[in-house]
Amino acid sequence: MNKGNTPSVETRRPDRAALIIAAVLAVIAGVIFWDVSRLTGLAGYSQVGPTTVPYVIACCLIGLAIWTAAEGIRGDFAEREPQQFGPVIWIVAGLAAQMLLLNILGFSIATGILFALTAGGFGKRRLWLTIPIGIAFSFFVWVIFAKLLQLSLPAGPFERLFF
Amino acid sequence: MKHFFIASILAGALALPAYAADYTIIAPANPGGGWDQTARSLQTVMQQEGISGNVQVQNVPGAGGTIGLAQFASQQKGNPNALLVGGYVMVGAILTNNSPVTLKDVEPIARLTGEYEAIVVPAASEIKSMADLVEALKKDPGTVSWAGGSAGGVDHIAVGLIAKAAGVDPTKINYIAYSGGGEALAAILGSQVTAGISGYGEFESQVKAGTLRLLAVTSAERIAGVDAPTLKESGLDVVVENWRMVAAAPGLTEEQKAAVTADIEKLAKSAGWQEVLKTKGWQDTYLAGDAFKEQLSKDVSATEAVLKGIGLVK
Amino acid sequence: MATFEFLLQGLLVAAQPMNLLYALIGVTLGTAVGVLPGIGPALTVALLLPVTYQLDPGGSLIMFAGIYYGGMYGGSTTSILLNTPGESASIVTALEGNKMARAGRGGPALATAAIGSFVAGLIATLALAFIAPFIVKLALVFGPREYFALMVLAFVTVSSAFGDSTLRGLTSLFVGLTLACIGIDQLTGQARLSFGVPDLLDGIEVTTLAVAMFAIGETLYIAAQGDKGPETVEAVRGSVWMSAMDWARSWKPWLRGTFIGFPIGAMPAGGAEIGTFLSYAAEKRLTKHPEEFGNGAIEGVAGPEAANNASAAGTLVPLLTLGLPTTATAAIMLAGFQQYGLQPGPLLFATNPQLVWGLIASLLIANFMLLVLNLPLIGLWVKLLTIPKPWLYAGILLFATLGTIGANPSVFELGMLLAFGLLGYVMRVFGYPIAPVVVGLILGPLAEQQLRRALSISQGDVTVLFTSPIAAVLLVIAALAFIVPLILRARGRGEVLAQLAASED
Repeated sequence: MNKGNTPSVETRRPDRAALIIAAVLAVIAGVIFWDVSRLTGLAGYSQVGPTTVPYVIACCLIGLAIWTAAEGIRGDFAEREPQQFGPVIWIVAGLAAQMLLLNILGFSIATGILFALTAGGFGKRRLWLTIPIGIAFSFFVWVIFAKLLQLSLPAGPFERLFF
Repeated sequence: MKHFFIASILAGALALPAYAADYTIIAPANPGGGWDQTARSLQTVMQQEGISGNVQVQNVPGAGGTIGLAQFASQQKGNPNALLVGGYVMVGAILTNNSPVTLKDVEPIARLTGEYEAIVVPAASEIKSMADLVEALKKDPGTVSWAGGSAGGVDHIAVGLIAKAAGVDPTKINYIAYSGGGEALAAILGSQVTAGISGYGEFESQVKAGTLRLLAVTSAERIAGVDAPTLKESGLDVVVENWRMVAAAPGLTEEQKAAVTADIEKLAKSAGWQEVLKTKGWQDTYLAGDAFKEQLSKDVSATEAVLKGIGLVK
Repeated sequence: MATFEFLLQGLLVAAQPMNLLYALIGVTLGTAVGVLPGIGPALTVALLLPVTYQLDPGGSLIMFAGIYYGGMYGGSTTSILLNTPGESASIVTALEGNKMARAGRGGPALATAAIGSFVAGLIATLALAFIAPFIVKLALVFGPREYFALMVLAFVTVSSAFGDSTLRGLTSLFVGLTLACIGIDQLTGQARLSFGVPDLLDGIEVTTLAVAMFAIGETLYIAAQGDKGPETVEAVRGSVWMSAMDWARSWKPWLRGTFIGFPIGAMPAGGAEIGTFLSYAAEKRLTKHPEEFGNGAIEGVAGPEAANNASAAGTLVPLLTLGLPTTATAAIMLAGFQQYGLQPGPLLFATNPQLVWGLIASLLIANFMLLVLNLPLIGLWVKLLTIPKPWLYAGILLFATLGTIGANPSVFELGMLLAFGLLGYVMRVFGYPIAPVVVGLILGPLAEQQLRRALSISQGDVTVLFTSPIAAVLLVIAALAFIVPLILRARGRGEVLAQLAASED
């Protein structure tokens, strides 16, 4: 899916993104060390206790962080295609809206907004049109899954108008 | 997609008569487990017996039921149409997980069913009786590996109680936790472990087929139709019952509580429910009101003591 | 032979027109719900079980069998077409299947999945009928140390899903392993990496992670390409149907997938997804077209799909012969069987032959109806790809979140969906493969628990890990799978391998 993987020969500058990824991996390893150190050994009869595997994983993560940083400094790290962040923000906003509104406004409205904002991310920006379409479609889906197939999907004011 | 929808509507319309909305039952576990099955049986019987029109089951899985419990206590407060299925496993989970919400934060209505634990060994095992097992345990607790459900669960608690009653240090037991009854049973049948402990129902067909030897059950008195001594008869003063209950939301008025209790009593006495108990092999241990609450508080303190003994709760 | 008589009798009953209709409704419902990302077969069966109670025992058993096979199969369609596997067992299908769909070969991919599922279902159901008691004995020999060896083998084979960079493949795997540590440690009951958040105590749900990483991550990535992203997908290039070449390349993977999937499904701690991993790795090693792996090799769809369905039938082996529900789906099926008066256990085949053979006949019929339903629908399914992108992806997110909400309607779960979706997007941007994350989440806890159980039972004696013959054989195979490519590389064939690796993306 990523077409930009062919390592380029020209760029030999340190890759900042690679260094950031390396730092994130190191931080995760640190968090594991910190969290697991509070556990009591309690291994019972096995010398591999609840803390052993997390420690091994953390050590490997540190190794990977060093490796990533090395590739980043040598400039060997994967090349990326430029990304457009506008559409990503539209869709993330849609998911966040659905998450926050689901239990207040019910499945149809919350998911209708997600539907419209996702379509917006792909260029259909006429929200006055796409939101009603989304709500209608979500309601149709809600009726089938919640009413006929007994899947528990939260109902809100809109669903209560009909049921 | 469209074709599926039309087909689903058709099939749904054929199969599900329309009802008015009514109870929502929260099963604080994934589909398939005991609580989920209890909730779905309640759903079926309540609709069958006309106790309630439309009953919905909602799974809120996680952490021995404590997530469902916490969500139920906060979101359903004052809702007389919400029920929660729960059981003894919750008592232990609340303690081991340090759950801020406990059974005091909901309104336990009634105990519905229960199951006693059974201790088994593979048929080929040299251990012939509970006395043999206790002897091996006393000699070297490490050599006796026990297969059962998750750590801190009812099976683990029962093993802890047995060790304590036998005068063995409960922290020395070699308990091997498995995720589900099935996996533990496979380990016992394959003689991977010394002994197994789980609800009697899990072992019943194996015991009847002679592939497992039943050493003892954890009931106070012998169970009808089960050819095994109780732990008390074997000289260990231990009784463990893995019960399941139904609870209502906190903050209900006395009238609302009485209405829910009446519905559950009607359910428990109905022919439909008795039929379910029979097909599923569940014991009828219906107990409501203050008697149930009293037993509940006893269970909580006993469990806390043993979990501290095993070292799972500080 | 009485066995055949019972089976024939069962087939006659199941083949009555009314029962065929029930089977069709069952597979349709099962597929319709199972196709939703995030709703696996367990929830599908749990939801639809009450529907079957309304019918007479024979009819309900048949509809039930249809729901089971439909639910198992449902996930592969969305995996192939939309790169959104709905459950863990169809993740591998997405690897090659989606590449095929993007190249206009969605039709053959769906067809080889459907026919492969049918072939596997047929063979595995017959195996269930005739050699179940033997298979189950084999499965019981597997103790913790044998499972641990199997997991080591599975870990080694995972590298075939790594893509072009060992560094990025390993990083993905370790991200998955880290996520796997979250939650209550099953063997000691202690909470790890959950930071006092109760919702994390049960760990990260595999389906949540898979749906987020694949469906949401993919949507974000495609959206971020804007207009210059991958040109519109061509729904059909060449025939929608499988060519003679496709058939020739599919039949061996179907059979291999069946023979890998069935025994692993029968193992109490196996699980369908491990069979699919092993099948994919096997096909990748055996194929005559290694250059196509990673770009849409039909063997990579045929094998794992067959393994997936064969293990669905395999799950029934311990269930029917021992009464052992080894998966959540099986536990729900057990509840279903009890409703029909069938008490699974060691005596079932002896005391209740009619019902058992009725069930097996139902499974055969359901398997057949699944093919009848799905082959004609392939033409319709591939048209999904011609839906304009805004509506297609809006619909994908709708159904992806629907599955998660239906399984567990909590804000926290949706928050995780969003967070992992973003992680999936970022990983795509930097060329990290997605599958190893999910694989790590699945295999990590299994390997850790089995190792600790084995050591606990032996009271700390490490040698037990190698002294069981089965474990030793598995470990040797794993070692060979690891070392042989290294030797080949050292002997100067490295360029070939490097070239192969580079052609994957």
